Amino acid sequence: MAMQTTANAAPTRSGQRPLTRRALLTAGAAGLAGLAAGAAGCGSPVERGLLGTGSQPNSLVYWNLFSGGDGENMTKMVNNYSAAHPDVSVQATVLSWGTPYYTKLALATAGSSPPDVAVTHLSRLSTLAGNDLLQGFSADQLAKAGMPAGNFTPAAMQKSTVDGTIYAIPLDTHPFVMFYNVDVCREAGLLGADGKLKPIKGPEQLQAAFAAAKKVTGQYGAVVAVTNDPSTNWRWFATLYYQLGGQVMSADGPDVKLTLDNAKAEQALGFMRQLTASGLMPGTVDGAGVTSLFSTGKAGFLLDGEWQIPTYANTDLKFDVVPVPHVFGPKPVAFADSHALVLPRNSAMDDAKRALALGFVKFLLEDSLVWAAGGHIPAWLPVQRSKAFTSLTPQSNYVQAALTAEYDPPGWFSGAGSQFENVVGAAVASCQNGSASPAQAVQAIRSGLQPYLDAPAPGT
Amino acid sequence: MATATIIDDGSASGSPRSATIGETSTKSGADERRAGWWFSAPFLVLYLAFLVGPAIYGVVMSFSNATTLRPGLGSAAGWANYREVFASSEFWNSMGHTLWFTVLTTPPLVILAFVFAILADRLRHGRGLARFIFFAPYVLPVTSVTLIFTFLYAGEIGLIPTIFTVLGLEPPNLLGETSWAFISVAVLTVWWTIGFNFVVFLAGLQEVPRDVYEAAAVDGAKPGRTLWSVVLPLLRPTIVLVVMLQILASLQVFNQMYLMTGGGPGTSTRPVMEFIYDSGFSDARAGFAAAATMVYFFAVLVISVIWYLLRRPARKGAGG
Amino acid sequence: MSAALSTSPVVGADDQLAAGPEAPARTPRRLRRESGMNPIDYNARSKAFRVLATVVLLLFALIWLVPLVFAVITSLKPEGEIASNPTSWWSNHFNFDAYAKVVQNTPILTWYLNSFIIAALTVVLTLLVCSMIGFALAQTRFRGRGAVFGLILAGLLIPGQILVLPLYQEIQAMGLLNTYWAMVLPAVAAPVAVFIFEAFFAGLPRALVEAARIDGASWFAVYWRICLPLCRPAVSAVAIFTFVTSWNNFLWPLLVLSDVNQMTIPVGMATVVGGYGIQYAQVMATAVLGALPLFVVFVLFQRRIVEGVASTGIK
Repeated sequence: MAMQTTANAAPTRSGQRPLTRRALLTAGAAGLAGLAAGAAGCGSPVERGLLGTGSQPNSLVYWNLFSGGDGENMTKMVNNYSAAHPDVSVQATVLSWGTPYYTKLALATAGSSPPDVAVTHLSRLSTLAGNDLLQGFSADQLAKAGMPAGNFTPAAMQKSTVDGTIYAIPLDTHPFVMFYNVDVCREAGLLGADGKLKPIKGPEQLQAAFAAAKKVTGQYGAVVAVTNDPSTNWRWFATLYYQLGGQVMSADGPDVKLTLDNAKAEQALGFMRQLTASGLMPGTVDGAGVTSLFSTGKAGFLLDGEWQIPTYANTDLKFDVVPVPHVFGPKPVAFADSHALVLPRNSAMDDAKRALALGFVKFLLEDSLVWAAGGHIPAWLPVQRSKAFTSLTPQSNYVQAALTAEYDPPGWFSGAGSQFENVVGAAVASCQNGSASPAQAVQAIRSGLQPYLDAPAPGT
Repeated sequence: MATATIIDDGSASGSPRSATIGETSTKSGADERRAGWWFSAPFLVLYLAFLVGPAIYGVVMSFSNATTLRPGLGSAAGWANYREVFASSEFWNSMGHTLWFTVLTTPPLVILAFVFAILADRLRHGRGLARFIFFAPYVLPVTSVTLIFTFLYAGEIGLIPTIFTVLGLEPPNLLGETSWAFISVAVLTVWWTIGFNFVVFLAGLQEVPRDVYEAAAVDGAKPGRTLWSVVLPLLRPTIVLVVMLQILASLQVFNQMYLMTGGGPGTSTRPVMEFIYDSGFSDARAGFAAAATMVYFFAVLVISVIWYLLRRPARKGAGG
Repeated sequence: MSAALSTSPVVGADDQLAAGPEAPARTPRRLRRESGMNPIDYNARSKAFRVLATVVLLLFALIWLVPLVFAVITSLKPEGEIASNPTSWWSNHFNFDAYAKVVQNTPILTWYLNSFIIAALTVVLTLLVCSMIGFALAQTRFRGRGAVFGLILAGLLIPGQILVLPLYQEIQAMGLLNTYWAMVLPAVAAPVAVFIFEAFFAGLPRALVEAARIDGASWFAVYWRICLPLCRPAVSAVAIFTFVTSWNNFLWPLLVLSDVNQMTIPVGMATVVGGYGIQYAQVMATAVLGALPLFVVFVLFQRRIVEGVASTGIK
């Protein structure tokens, strides 16, 4: 409209042009008006934008952070829900993974406009719950909605519970695991009669296995992402450190304490450095390099998340997956995280909408065999124990890892893709690539985390 | 403007003309005074509510433990936030990244734009076309620009790595390696925003009176010499202006960096505005982020003041 | 090439329109253009230089076109072809599938609408509010005028990004997050626009205002009927710049518009990702769709936009 003023000014002087310009503008304005009328018809965006109100019953807004193979599976599950509930309209939105997603989720909730259902990593849960961003449930309430707490993997359910209140409904456990190249390991004599990897226990056996694989590949025994991948560095370190019984931080409400055990951390880092220093594993390789080395048979083993299964399933590579071997300590421990579904706090949500949202969550749980195709272990025991899943390979090989899962430590700056992972991961990487000694890396972890430990948690 | 792309668009036109239009007192002085206030009121209300107010509130916030998750200030923090900012290596690193980005972008954006303008000024035909081509990217939304360049830079399939390969060079990891990531985002920025400086320079060149060239030609000056000793001094105010606007714009970099690298790999390219965004909105520590903002603002303010000092004498000679 | 030239808006076709207070400064420029020759080019060497200039500039212009043209071409190719031959400049199967998918899979039409409403509201309110105070500062005398001037001038020194944290909390406390007003209200009080209007109003003869007042016109009538219509160039410059700035704003809407259905074009495009991994034709189609509206605005108002920018440096 303001533009039309401008167009009016010109006609006396420059002949034809303004006419076409005005025609274009009119057409554009008419088009937009049509669009506006259409959008205003179905209510919300314009009405909300101008008046800050407007909500639609029988519709669900669902946010997740899955792209690639996971994204495809999630879309399938949502479509299955829509097919089974044609009266409910689900608006599923995929947002960029990691910190941007959590920032958006927190801002939307604080801005009283959260999605009805959202995905979270359980490692992020204490932060979200601590900031009062989630709706909490009692075990009874969930049981009434058809989801008794006993029907979930215990480790995941425990991580979903903060001070006796359940804030998240776990969908899966996705552990850090070990992939192996079947052909390389067969040639290296590492497979048993059943064609499966013979059990490996203790640091010497693991080194021996990597050395045997290195002989076959001629390049590396095993590979793990070091460069530009702090999260993977942290996961690999956490697996070993947790096996040693270590603990990084403890939290009492918003107060976080560093409980890092220097000796144990140095032992874990020392072992990791030994593997790269001896040439059994590369000390500088990024994610793309890892994929290329493992998929072309230049490394016999790969340490990575099970979510990488689709990456290699699409290649000719023959591989299998097992839990990370029990290297240290008295009992096997696997580093893992879980995806879970949450209902962000929303004063505008009525009981009917809440029931609808919980129904949607339950449907996703029951449909989580689809989800398992992405490599994840369903947290919903009826699916996890179903024949369909137990006969699914390689997923069923590492169910054990879900039961012995340990997560990121508590703390407001911890969790998947967090500053905590960035700080610790960077220090671990510097040790693996040899630019810092284990003791120096431990020191870097301490000094890197200190500002966060000193800072008051947000909102206190 | 809450978050302008280049806040100082046209602010040069904004310095107050000394508004002395003669204080002829009219018969209805009181009426005029009232009218003046009424006409000013809507602006002033909004200005106080959304600029002056927040600016003051921001200072207060920086001494508090406010969070972005809730309204209100939370508990008082004293100087703790400032102490933490000054001690934070991450903050100073991010200031360094912003500075490095400014160093990388300002010279090409000024020099290249100037060269283009000199060349375009020589054209007998096609000046309008050149202006169109160089300025068009400037009106694109940042997200379109970053989507396009992310594709151009993509390893294996992107146009730029392919050019490296064709030239027989090993294509670098354009966004995944710190030093290249800076350069890649700087190249994008040059492509995207050079049109602004180009147009300003071109207009400045076209304001140079014809007889200046004639006089120089009559005196037997070669074109290069004319450029150096006649045109450049005449354009000095424009050049100072463009340089300072460019520095101020580059110092505020956030959008391209956030969208292209997310400050990565790690936090090795994270500009200070993203540090503020991360601590204020991702970590929800509004008080701390406000303190970081104040320190950063102080640095920008020093540069702005230098600009005003440089511009003042320059304006006298400009005769615009 | 000459065909392309004739379509580009002819510079100076209606210079008078922009005359306003600076008219005299423009005279030499028009003279020079009419002579059709840059006076620096008097000898043969200069002519050679001009050819060189043309060639070099042409080369750079081509480089500058590459990203845009390549994006458009890629967006029209089938996905499979991009995977197998990503850098090809041609396809025998150009189609609009990617555009259809983007429109289908993302709320991009809603984002257009949001962006448009926000930008339009911002433009209208900015024009009104800033021209009013510009008029007051230029044509009326009131106590505190100097202070007001200084206050607005100080605002120029504050980069908008400095305000994000306190402003966010303020908007949150007002309950305006995820509404258009969160975008519009903070953008309206723009010091730059005030100074542009002030400069134009100050250029109008004082006698004009006084004569109208003596004829019994109210101050509002003087402003609305007499002065504002004489300031069309300022109105259009402020309108276009406000529109472009509002449309391309990124950080602020990223913070205050977290509901996917309330987002503007740049933020929506940056936030919502396709669920099926990277499909480059769709990504490029998104980029092109995002760029399209302002590109059209630019083509329509090229001369005015460019002149607005140019005036930055001249004054």
